[in-house]
Amino acid sequence: MAGSKTWFSRSWPDRCFDLFNFMFMIFVLVITLYPFLHVLAISLNDSTDTVRGGIHIWPRQFTLANYEVIFQYDTLLTGFRNSVLRTIVGTALGLISASMLAFTLSRRDFQARKFISVFLALTLYFSGGLIPVYMLIRDLGLMNSFWVYVFPGMVNAFFVFVIRSYIDGLPYSLQESAKLDGANDFVIYWRIIMPLSKPVLATIALFIAVGQWNAWFDTYLYNGSARHLTTLQFELMKVLESTTTSGSSQDFRGQNMTEVMARVSPESVKMAITIVVTVPILLVYPFLQRYFVKGMTLGAVKS
Amino acid sequence: MKKHDFSLAGLILVAVLIFSLLGCAQNEQPGHRAAESENGDEQAGDSSGGGLEPITFTAYFEDPSPNWNNMQDAVGKVITEKTGVTIDAEFAVSGVDRISLIAASGNYPDLISPKGSADQLVSAGAMIDLTDLIEQHGPNLKKVYGEYLPRLRWSEEDPSIYFLPTYDGVGQTYFDAGGGFQLQHAVVQELGYPEIRTVKDFEDAIRTYMERHPTIDGQPTIGLSLLADDWRILISVTNNAFYATGAPDDGEFYIDPETFEATYHYRRPEEKEYFRWLNHMNATGLLDPESFVQKYDQYLAKIASGRVLALTDQRWQFQDGENALKAEGKYERGYGHYPVTLNEQYVRKDFQGTGFMGGWGIGITTSNPDPVRAIQFLDWLASEEGQILRRWGIEGEHYEVVDGKRVIPPQVMEEKRNNAAQFERTSGIGLYEMFSAKYGDGVLDSTGNYFTTNFPEQIVESYNEVEKEVLAHYNATTWKDLFPSEEEFPVRPWGAAWQIQMPTGSDLSVIFQRCDDIMKRRIPQAVLADPSEFDEIWDQFMAELIEAGVEQMEREYTELVRKKVAFWNET
Repeated sequence: MAGSKTWFSRSWPDRCFDLFNFMFMIFVLVITLYPFLHVLAISLNDSTDTVRGGIHIWPRQFTLANYEVIFQYDTLLTGFRNSVLRTIVGTALGLISASMLAFTLSRRDFQARKFISVFLALTLYFSGGLIPVYMLIRDLGLMNSFWVYVFPGMVNAFFVFVIRSYIDGLPYSLQESAKLDGANDFVIYWRIIMPLSKPVLATIALFIAVGQWNAWFDTYLYNGSARHLTTLQFELMKVLESTTTSGSSQDFRGQNMTEVMARVSPESVKMAITIVVTVPILLVYPFLQRYFVKGMTLGAVKS
Repeated sequence: MKKHDFSLAGLILVAVLIFSLLGCAQNEQPGHRAAESENGDEQAGDSSGGGLEPITFTAYFEDPSPNWNNMQDAVGKVITEKTGVTIDAEFAVSGVDRISLIAASGNYPDLISPKGSADQLVSAGAMIDLTDLIEQHGPNLKKVYGEYLPRLRWSEEDPSIYFLPTYDGVGQTYFDAGGGFQLQHAVVQELGYPEIRTVKDFEDAIRTYMERHPTIDGQPTIGLSLLADDWRILISVTNNAFYATGAPDDGEFYIDPETFEATYHYRRPEEKEYFRWLNHMNATGLLDPESFVQKYDQYLAKIASGRVLALTDQRWQFQDGENALKAEGKYERGYGHYPVTLNEQYVRKDFQGTGFMGGWGIGITTSNPDPVRAIQFLDWLASEEGQILRRWGIEGEHYEVVDGKRVIPPQVMEEKRNNAAQFERTSGIGLYEMFSAKYGDGVLDSTGNYFTTNFPEQIVESYNEVEKEVLAHYNATTWKDLFPSEEEFPVRPWGAAWQIQMPTGSDLSVIFQRCDDIMKRRIPQAVLADPSEFDEIWDQFMAELIEAGVEQMEREYTELVRKKVAFWNET
């Protein structure tokens, strides 16, 4: 009731704006939510039935068979543990190293500032390519080790620049006054810069975390034979492969194959896998959400 | 100040915590490793009474094998017991080319099965020539490859044998036909099982049924539906042009069996008539108007609706749609395979033999510590005992011999069907397909049993009642019976031309790409055009091909085919 009162007490342009805003937001909600629901519906639908098309946001013939196919692999648990671990460790170390470098680069009294910036920027445009990188990793002795998930991506030039431009936007006088109070550079970094940069750090943390969570290629390249270092995404990739290739497997021709194929199809398993990998990382968003909101109010009032 | 110190300490504490956490994760590695190898030793030690030193080979396969169980499966244990060999294998994922990394880095596994990138390993000098090893230690390999052994050689310039083909089975015969032209069983049932031999018969059947039943389940009936989604146009549309005009599948070329001259197959005059027929089908409303625009999933959904009377496709491509019909019990909407040609003058050569084509396989690298043990291992797998073990499993456990015949007990069959992945992982049947040479379907062992678990009786068993009834009316037991058999044609001395690789970046492949683009544009245009304009469009198509250099391409391809014929058939 209170809501409707304010609605009627407002001026026409305001109401128009609200109405438009409301519809626009509904629209955005629909186009972002629909694909997700669609994937969920297909993953829960009988795969033979899915071929007929016409599945939108609700499964027609409910089944868990697609998920059963995925969860019959016991290596998933090891993979899940490693994925979580690399996400946490990779994000923490990545965030600390990127922000430290960003802080250094933002300091006007740092002599090599320009040189290092250019040096970093180059990596945005050029990379060594797959084979040289592979050989470098091998020569560094990072093959078959957990650290290959963390070290190579610890300083990402793009993230450093994003954080630096945020720090550049903070009043330099804050640092100066802290210095007058006797703070050294580490203290300034940890006590002044880091707390003020929470919004950008949250954003970058999310970038790194999603990247770490989704990564499977490094597992495949460097840790393919180290089974205890496998990641969830790599294992799921293999599951997906198995459904795609079972069609050509010699042994399952004829009747066997029709029955196997009728139970699950690559398309349906792919959808189920999508759900399995999306949900855990989705859970991270609410925790970081408040920093985004804070970021907006922080920038609103400025002296 | 005090506060500051505290926070710094906190930072350090966090860092230490993280590092120690990871330390744990990393420390696990050696422990794990040791445990694994202990296990392996123990096993081999238990059983290697025959004096076979246990040995572990690393291996990499360029194909996924998600159920790989580190040889802890039933078959794997027997293999280790018999040969003393344990394989520490890695498998590719999603076709990402890792071979080039392996070739460039110089870290070769002991055994490698590289598929299309094999040349990179050979030019890196990673592979051992197996010729002498096979001669001295490979009696079973020699037996399996037999007269085709020379086809294993790498090239004219380098006649070494680097790889043992493992993908193709030697002597493979096909028990069923999955191609031809397809008609719904309902159509032939309604029309009293007319002879379906030429495109005219095919067309009449579609027309008559369509006139009688303008709708199926309340939706408009569709006559012939084609699929042209990217490369699938080859399978559903253009390959039929050569099949229907009496040529076997040689990819995008027609190879003259006498002179080995290659022709870009669209340039054959008889194929123009085939496309004219498609054009006529479109003009008379029998062709699905969405044929050239629909996507694969739409095509399958349409088939699954049961209202598409006819297809010109391969079963593996439309199977998902047909399975949906079967699941609903609409067996009469499933498809039969008919040997349709443009007219009586042609016979279909779907089954014309290629001989053993070799192809991808496994090789031994220069990193291998004991190539002799390795070839003996591969040879044992190729022996009759080894092949039966790989395909059938262990006697008394996965199969039984009843009256001299190998049979799979029903409960094992049940497990194999309903729990395929789990069955593969625990039994190991199917995990070792790519490990060594093998015979194909239809080859008999010394006891008169098939080497593989596929045999003709099984095909018939897999048909539903409607299919059996339709086939009975055509005096056949399998769809293949309707087609001319492989015995009617000579084996093609070049194998199949689609296997011949065009060097990447060469003129040949550039021109081929250009012709392919023209074809994908012009074929739909010609089929959908008004019949009066067909000739004109076709002439333009031909002129454009010549402009793109099709004649040069054909000359160069002819050279490749002739080279292959000479190389494969010299002794």
